[in-house]
Amino acid sequence: MAPDLTANSVTLFAISYDSVEVLRNFADAHGITYPLLSDEGSHTMRGLGLINDRVREDHAVYGIQPNPRHVNLPYPGLFVLDSDGLVTQKRFYESYRERDTGTGLLAQVLGVVKEPWAPVVATSSPVTVRAWLDSPTYVFFQRLMLTVEVSIDPGFCICAEPARGGVTPLSIAIDPLEGLEVGTPRWPPARRVARPGFNDGLWVHEGIVRGTMPLTFAATPGGGDHQLGVTVRYQACDGASCLEPSSVQLRVRVREAALIGRSLPSPMSKT
Amino acid sequence: MPLPPRDFNAIGPKEGQRFPDVRLPDQTGGLVDVHQQRAGRSALVVFYRSAEW
Repeated sequence: MAPDLTANSVTLFAISYDSVEVLRNFADAHGITYPLLSDEGSHTMRGLGLINDRVREDHAVYGIQPNPRHVNLPYPGLFVLDSDGLVTQKRFYESYRERDTGTGLLAQVLGVVKEPWAPVVATSSPVTVRAWLDSPTYVFFQRLMLTVEVSIDPGFCICAEPARGGVTPLSIAIDPLEGLEVGTPRWPPARRVARPGFNDGLWVHEGIVRGTMPLTFAATPGGGDHQLGVTVRYQACDGASCLEPSSVQLRVRVREAALIGRSLPSPMSKT
Repeated sequence: MPLPPRDFNAIGPKEGQRFPDVRLPDQTGGLVDVHQQRAGRSALVVFYRSAEW
């Protein structure tokens, strides 16, 4: 992921409680050149309010024995800083089992969309919808990113949030699936246009709009392969009036990655 | 029963705030100041459990 970030003029910092020596060995072993910062004793992370003091209680719930390594651990996550150093996004997780794929993170945090992997397509004039996942496979508790791309024919627009005047805004719905946690979709900002009958104007997307939605597979390993049912609802308008709300459905295939050859993501696996 | 989920908005620096000044040694042992090092560029600051385990 680091080369992608550099290409997008983003500086990466990774902070842990490891000693400089541990980080030096790790950086040497993996060819890491971006700064791995050593917060031995976790004082900086504690000052930032990121230390998880509930690890022991949490682990007791699951019958995991206390372990000195689990003291002074931060919640796993990240901050996105803009060029002025302001926090524009923060993403934190309860558990170290839950994490983003590198490309998914780039898509949602930085708006960098990689070439789609095996997109599925559905057309319903005046829109064409493509959907793809950032990885063809999932592993237990991994967060995949679903990208939905809506191409709108010239002369048309589709309604967006904030939806006023009874129009149906663009939305994504995923058919329920056991163990699948569906996150909040992100869309680019909409544009306000003047339309007869809409005193406050109408918020719309035009051209090509790409939305992303995080999906976490929290089912137990062995969940198998799935066809994700994706429904995209929209309401199209031309310069004069709006058409009836409509929807397209797509089926996105995702396979469970084989667990052979990898350690199960249990907190005890390396202790 | 798992414990109730945390409110992550309440944890750590908030969106819209300047990220606090952080100066820590990197893998070479040299002190790195996050804001100085990013030199006017945007940045990702990642927190993780350990490089060792």
